[in-house]
Amino acid sequence: MPRPGYMVSEIYKNLLKKRATILYPFKERELVHLPKGFRGRIIFNRDKCIGCQMCFRVCPAQAIKIIEDEKGKRPIFFMYRCIYCGSCAEYCPVKAIELSDIFENIAFNKKDLLVR
Amino acid sequence: MSFYIPIGPQHPVHPEPLLMKFKVEGEQVIDVEINVSYTHRGIEKGFEYRDYMKGIFLAERICGICNAAHTLCYTQNIEQLLGKEIPPRAKYLRLIVEELSRIHSHLLWLGLAAHQIGFETLFMYVWRDREKVLDLLETITGNRVVTAYNTIGGVRRDITPEIEQKIRKSLDYLEERTKYFKKVVMEEPTVLVRTQNVGILKPREAIELFAVGPVLRASGIKHDIRADDPYIAHDEVPFNVVTYDTCDVYARILVRVDEILECINMVRYSLDHLPSGEYRIRMPVIVRPPPGESVSRVEAPRGELLHYVRSDGSDKPYRYKVRTPTLANIPSTARMLTSRGDYIVYIADIPIIFGSIDPCLCCTGRVMFIDIEKSKSWVWTYNELVRYSLKRFERHD
Amino acid sequence: MIEVLYKMIEMILFPGFAFIGVLSLLYEWIDRKFYARLQNRIGPLYAGPHGILQPLADFIKLLSKEDIIPEGADKFLFTLTPILFFAINLLLTLFLPICGTTGVISFTGDLIFFVALLTMISILVYTAGMASTNRFATIGAERAVLQLIGYEIPFMLSIVSVAISSRSLTIKNIVESQSSIWHILGPNFLAFIIFAITAQAELERIPFDIPEAEQEIVAGWLVEYSGKKLALFRLGKDVETLLLCGLGATLFLGGPLGPVVPGLEIVFYTLYFIVKSIIVLLVLTTLRALFARLRVDQMLVLSWKYLIPLSLISVLIVRVVF
Repeated sequence: MPRPGYMVSEIYKNLLKKRATILYPFKERELVHLPKGFRGRIIFNRDKCIGCQMCFRVCPAQAIKIIEDEKGKRPIFFMYRCIYCGSCAEYCPVKAIELSDIFENIAFNKKDLLVR
Repeated sequence: MSFYIPIGPQHPVHPEPLLMKFKVEGEQVIDVEINVSYTHRGIEKGFEYRDYMKGIFLAERICGICNAAHTLCYTQNIEQLLGKEIPPRAKYLRLIVEELSRIHSHLLWLGLAAHQIGFETLFMYVWRDREKVLDLLETITGNRVVTAYNTIGGVRRDITPEIEQKIRKSLDYLEERTKYFKKVVMEEPTVLVRTQNVGILKPREAIELFAVGPVLRASGIKHDIRADDPYIAHDEVPFNVVTYDTCDVYARILVRVDEILECINMVRYSLDHLPSGEYRIRMPVIVRPPPGESVSRVEAPRGELLHYVRSDGSDKPYRYKVRTPTLANIPSTARMLTSRGDYIVYIADIPIIFGSIDPCLCCTGRVMFIDIEKSKSWVWTYNELVRYSLKRFERHD
Repeated sequence: MIEVLYKMIEMILFPGFAFIGVLSLLYEWIDRKFYARLQNRIGPLYAGPHGILQPLADFIKLLSKEDIIPEGADKFLFTLTPILFFAINLLLTLFLPICGTTGVISFTGDLIFFVALLTMISILVYTAGMASTNRFATIGAERAVLQLIGYEIPFMLSIVSVAISSRSLTIKNIVESQSSIWHILGPNFLAFIIFAITAQAELERIPFDIPEAEQEIVAGWLVEYSGKKLALFRLGKDVETLLLCGLGATLFLGGPLGPVVPGLEIVFYTLYFIVKSIIVLLVLTTLRALFARLRVDQMLVLSWKYLIPLSLISVLIVRVVF
């Protein structure tokens, strides 16, 4: 039997409940909960890297470039090409690459989007 | 006195561009012409330049919402080509993520359907509750929409017991809310009067025009790839194929809402019977399958999804072909949108009829030929295409 | 001379145009905030404390946008319609008894004049759509006229039943006849429900959003308007909301009457009027949040099969009781 205005009790109950929106980004940043395995910005640990270039070979978006520095070959990551797939972290044999939970990857110049 | 109205390419009701030219007389629709060539991105060509492991990420981006179905179909295809078998735990884990993304897709669609008939409140509530599924997908795979969970040889991450607890709690909440939404749809008279006897597709027409997915099941035909041609663990996890036989938009809403409830039961069953063992077999980074071809099909949230691959022994595919369910539903939409005899289509019915096939136009883009010098454009019919392809691939043995 | 000056101040400042302008923006804010809260959202937030300046910000933004007149449009009608729309709505607010039992303008039989000008506003919607010569605007305009055929008769019949129970067609007498008991608490309750539904149809809000359906015909009859003309239409629509809520409060909830402190009558009357019309506004917003949009032929079926018999029954009840 159709009842017009079926949702009326639900919408009045919602007047008393707390709102579902959070006021990110100006306030309430701490209410953004990210789980443990979140795929965010890359963090690279130079000391562990052995220069195998595995990350360069697996990256689907060609976001990694191999350069030489005083300790040998090492990658730099271009976050503006990265698709956050996590393949580099998965295939690195010494676990020198880690995906953190930083998701606000915008910048005013491209240099801020390189991870060295 | 009739005139033409264009709905699209930019219109508030379309999330993606497509052009539907309607011939209307007053408030009645007489004829329609659909053009889906606006979102062609050249993905099938893109597959030929990427090796198989990198192709997973391209397949994922064919469609944002069906991304689990596309990667599942792709990896199944390549595993068939290589002749490898994945471990049983990987099959169950793939099923869990596939069904969770089906719940996500159907909840998103329910909110959009409510928005298209003007029911803003239901739209807001459904999308608030959809956040729970997105949080679950984020906990399991690391990202809300583009999950990147399947890989050639299994899945990339495992489910720990605490993630399992979270899944069970969220599923209880989702089940209660879905039952409430089902009651709202069945009892609110403004929704009933907008969706019943609107967009009728008779069973014979549905079979003739090759409809797939919930559109087919809402016309009373019991056809579901998970039951007819089981893949991953669908032969071990029991479920019902949901059909309704009123053939209208109301039936399609109910089919999808009932499918959400079925998916919740399937995920609970697979969590209870999750086999132990490894979740991935190690494959080399560059995969070179032997020459051959392979087809795999999967029940995406919108219908039957088909991938075809042909390899010539190198590390990149020779040809990859994707046939998405929305493309198969477009002829049925054109039939549903024309008035004939007693069945009248009003302009007000256009958004909800078009929305009831759950259009995902980013998967659909097809090519239209344009000749700049002669300044004309044309589309090939089915017979012309068949003739051309037979002539091109003629073998001279 | 002093009389004329006093009347002019009343008409322009309080309770005339300036006061109505501010109040209508406040009512739009209340409507949007309440609607958002019913949907578990926030609503306007950043313009002013709790977003109270958001309607003013929208109005000022629209004033600064480019004003384009399409090539095939009828320039005279296209430019005249928003001005007439806004002007008629402002004129009608002078009839509402805000700070006393009479409005700024009051004469015998002014209820009929009021309702006649309200119909004129709906005809202006049709003119606006047709003057735009856009396919979507044409469809929106013809839907607006179809909707007018639907809701006009129940609207008038519900007002007639109030007029019967107070034995007069003058707003002043209707307000004074509620000094003992409000009309809504008596046999006019059914008339109030019909008034609420048809006021929703007059204001073109969900579920009677049909001439302006966003998902089907983009913006309906408003589609070609931009800049200052659109600002006038939107402000005119806000004033119309205030008008119909004020009319509902006057006819059914006793207008500005209530216990007063002698000497400060103007303040108390205004306060009671505002509170009562906000109650009617909240009823209309709840109706907006509960339903889906109807199709235009379904709206006509609803109106002619259900609303008109109900309103005739309401008139009969009132005639028998009084």
